[in-house]
Amino acid sequence: MDGIILEVRNLTKTFPSKKGGFNAVDDISLSIKDGEILGLLGPNGAGKTTTIQMLLGVMDPSDGDILYFGTSLQKNRETILKQINFSSTYISLPWWFTVSEILELFARLYEIQERQKRIKKLLREFEMEELYKKEFRMLSAGEKTRLLLAKAFLNYPKIILLDEPTASLDPDIAVRIRQFLKKEKEKYNVSMLFTSHNMDEVEEMCDRVIVLSHGKIIAKDTPVNLVKSIRESEIELLIKKDRERAMKLFNKLELPFTQNGTMFTLVVDEKTIAEFLTLLTKENIEYEDISINKPDLEDYFLNIAKGEST
Amino acid sequence: MISINRIYAMIYRYTVNMRHNFDRMSDMFYWPAMDLFVWGLTGRYFSELSSDPKQTMLILLTGLIFWIVVWRAQYEITTNLLAEMWDQNLVNIFASPLKVSEWIIAVMIFGFIKMIISIIFSAGLAYLLYGYPIFIYGTSTIPIILSLILTGWSTGFLIAALIIRYGQKIQTLAWMGGYIIAPFSALYYPIAILPKWAQSVAKFVPSSYMFEAMRHLLQDHQISFQQFFISFILNMVYLTIGISFFMFMFRKSKKIGLGRFG
Repeated sequence: MDGIILEVRNLTKTFPSKKGGFNAVDDISLSIKDGEILGLLGPNGAGKTTTIQMLLGVMDPSDGDILYFGTSLQKNRETILKQINFSSTYISLPWWFTVSEILELFARLYEIQERQKRIKKLLREFEMEELYKKEFRMLSAGEKTRLLLAKAFLNYPKIILLDEPTASLDPDIAVRIRQFLKKEKEKYNVSMLFTSHNMDEVEEMCDRVIVLSHGKIIAKDTPVNLVKSIRESEIELLIKKDRERAMKLFNKLELPFTQNGTMFTLVVDEKTIAEFLTLLTKENIEYEDISINKPDLEDYFLNIAKGEST
Repeated sequence: MISINRIYAMIYRYTVNMRHNFDRMSDMFYWPAMDLFVWGLTGRYFSELSSDPKQTMLILLTGLIFWIVVWRAQYEITTNLLAEMWDQNLVNIFASPLKVSEWIIAVMIFGFIKMIISIIFSAGLAYLLYGYPIFIYGTSTIPIILSLILTGWSTGFLIAALIIRYGQKIQTLAWMGGYIIAPFSALYYPIAILPKWAQSVAKFVPSSYMFEAMRHLLQDHQISFQQFFISFILNMVYLTIGISFFMFMFRKSKKIGLGRFG
C-alpha cells in the first residue's frame, strides 16, 4: 500500500435498462502511485466519465471500493475531498461570476489559508491576471479551461482528476499547460488521472495508461509498451515505373494496400519490413521515395475503435 | 463536523449570484411591490364596502405580506438549487468537501436574510401607500413569522427533493409548488368559509393556523398560543419529512450521478 494514492477495487456501475441492467463500468481495478500520471483512455461510451464521477463521489458505485490514501471515499468523504480536485471540459462554472469571484468561492469551499495570495499565484501561473474581473460567460473556451484548471489546483491537491484538460486550448497554451502540469508533478509530487483524446499528449504526459472498452479494462501498460503491441507499420512508396508489377507483387504477398496515383500505402508486419524491401529489389521494382510510419498511441486507439465497430 | 466556512462560502455564492443577476435582485422587491399595488388597491376598494374598512384592509395587507414569508422561504431553497443546475455547477460544489447538510443550512440562512429584507420592504411600502402599520403588534408577530418560515422551508425541501431527482424538466414547481397550500392557508379569509373537505385539509396545513392567529391578533389583540403550538408541531413534522425526503432523493440522484446536471 506504500505510496498508493488512489486504489480502485472491482468498481462496477450498473444502470437499469430494459434488458435488466447495463454495466457502464464493469469490475475495474486500478491504482495510482504518489506522483504518477495515469492515463484513462477509451472510445466514447467506454466508461471514463462514469469512472471519474464515481472517483469524485458524485455518483455512487453499484459495487466495489474506492480508496484514497488507504481510506474509503464513502467513509471519509470530507477528509478525502479536501485533498483532491478535478477539472473537466464538460463541467461549467457559475456563469455570472467573475474569475476572481469563482476562485474566491472555491477557495472558501476548500477552506484555503491565505486565499488571496493563493488566488493571485494561480492567476499568474495560468496567465489570467488581466481577466480577474471578467465574467465566466464572457471568457473564451481556452480561458474557461485555464480557469477550471486554476480551480483544480486551488487546494494544493495530492491527486487531480483531469478530464480532457487541454481540449479547446490553442496549441501554444496547451503546451504551457502541459509544462505547468509536469512542473507541479515534479515540485509537489501531485498524482494525476488523465483522460484525453490527444494521444500525443497522453504519450507525453502519462507514466501508465489504462484502456477501457465497454466498461472493462482491456489493456494497462506504459504508452510505449502499448504501442509496441501493434506490430504493423505503414509503408508509403512512390513508384513511378513498374506499378503494374508492384501491384501484382502486393496481391501475391496478400498485403493490403491503397493507391493514389504513383503513391502506394501498404500495411506490413514490422518484422517483415526488411524482407519485403529485399523482395522489391529482387523483383527490380524501383521506388523513388519511401517512408515508414511506425505505429503510435493514436494507431493503438484507432485499432480499438476499429475493433469496436466490427 | 459542520463547517461554518463552507456554509459561508455558499451564502457568498448566492449573494454574488444575486448581485450579478437582475432577476434574482428584482424578485425581492418587484413582485412584492406589484402585489401590494394591485391587491392593496383592490382590497381598499372592497374594504370600503365592509362595516370596518380599516380592519378589513389591515387583514388583507397582513395576509399579503405574511404570504411573502412562506413563498420567499420556499422559493429561495428551490431556485438556489436550480441556480446550480442552470450554471452546471452541481458537480463542482458536491465534489468539494461541502456536505448536503451544509448546503441546506446555507440556503436556509440566505433565504431568511432575503425574506427579512423583502418583508421590511413590503411592510414599509404598505405603510407608505396605505398608511397601515403591519407590525402594529410588535413582538407578537414574531412567532407567526417564524412559524410561516418553517412552513416555507418544509414546502421548499419537498419541492427541492423532486427537483434534485427529476431535474429541470419539473423546474416550474419552484415557482408554483408553494401555491398548492395557499388556498388551504386561508390567507385573507377565515377557514370557516372553506368547503368542508377543504377545512379538513386545512387542519393539516400549518400556515392556516398562523393566518387565523394573525386575524385573531388583529381583531382581538391576543395571540392564540394553541394555534401557534399546533402550527409549530405540524411544521416540525413537515420540516423533518421535507429535509429527510430531500436527503433521500439526493442519495437517489447520486445513484444516477449528479454529473447529468453538469
